[in-house]
Amino acid sequence: MTGVQISFFVLAVAAVASALGVIIFKNAVHCALSLILTLLFLALFYLQLGAAFIAIVQVLIYAGAIMVLFLFVVTMLASEAADTELPDRIPWQRWVAGILGLTLVGTLSYLLFTGTAIDSGPKATAANSLSHVVNTQGNTEAFGQALFHGFVYPFEVTSLLIIVAVLGAMVLGRKA
Amino acid sequence: MPLSAYLIVSAIIFTIGVVGVLIRRNPLIIFMSIELMLNAVNLSFVAISSYLDSADGQMFVFIVLTVAAAEVVVGLAIIVSIFRTRRDIDVDDMNLLRG
Repeated sequence: MTGVQISFFVLAVAAVASALGVIIFKNAVHCALSLILTLLFLALFYLQLGAAFIAIVQVLIYAGAIMVLFLFVVTMLASEAADTELPDRIPWQRWVAGILGLTLVGTLSYLLFTGTAIDSGPKATAANSLSHVVNTQGNTEAFGQALFHGFVYPFEVTSLLIIVAVLGAMVLGRKA
Repeated sequence: MPLSAYLIVSAIIFTIGVVGVLIRRNPLIIFMSIELMLNAVNLSFVAISSYLDSADGQMFVFIVLTVAAAEVVVGLAIIVSIFRTRRDIDVDDMNLLRG
């Protein structure tokens, strides 16, 4: 096995194990910490795939900003949220959820192994391919060029979305 | 590594998120499971972007990241305001649009 394969399997096992921790731990703080671990492992996956800028953004925004917000709310609601495991009202809910989950992952894996749609997709031309731009100008430059050449309109819509979210949070958080 | 290896890891993490939404009762942990699903999709976007040698997949990751941040801000504000009015955060008890 090459180094890439070994690091892939270690990362895959660690990411799946910490993702399982999110839904298994009883205490909400432990769940949040496990989710942070999953996000960090996914950032390492992005580094392995050559997307350094996305990996850094993942650590800064997801593991930094979003999870701090989560932990803040968890500690704010600590008396109710952190320690209590609410009883199940439908006794067979866990079993049905597990069976449905196994069906979903089995179907997805089957389709991934038998499908041919991805392999027949178009590859980028050599001149504007991602690896070419990354090698000549750098990773962040390649991201910025792609964002501001082909995706300016979605970028502007993104800023509108953030403004709407900020206004919504202000309206919800105001004293009623 | 072949592309399908990354896609299968992504499918497994996505399924863990789905099962988490189905079995947990605490709305905060249901939100964390939704984040897991969004991140699983991000992983497959980055893997396909690297496979096709095109930056378009990374743009989608950027937009998913923004949508996730906006969703968390509004969702946590809703949870906090529900908690302020009823002191109780079992999802099964939240069956009223007013109250």
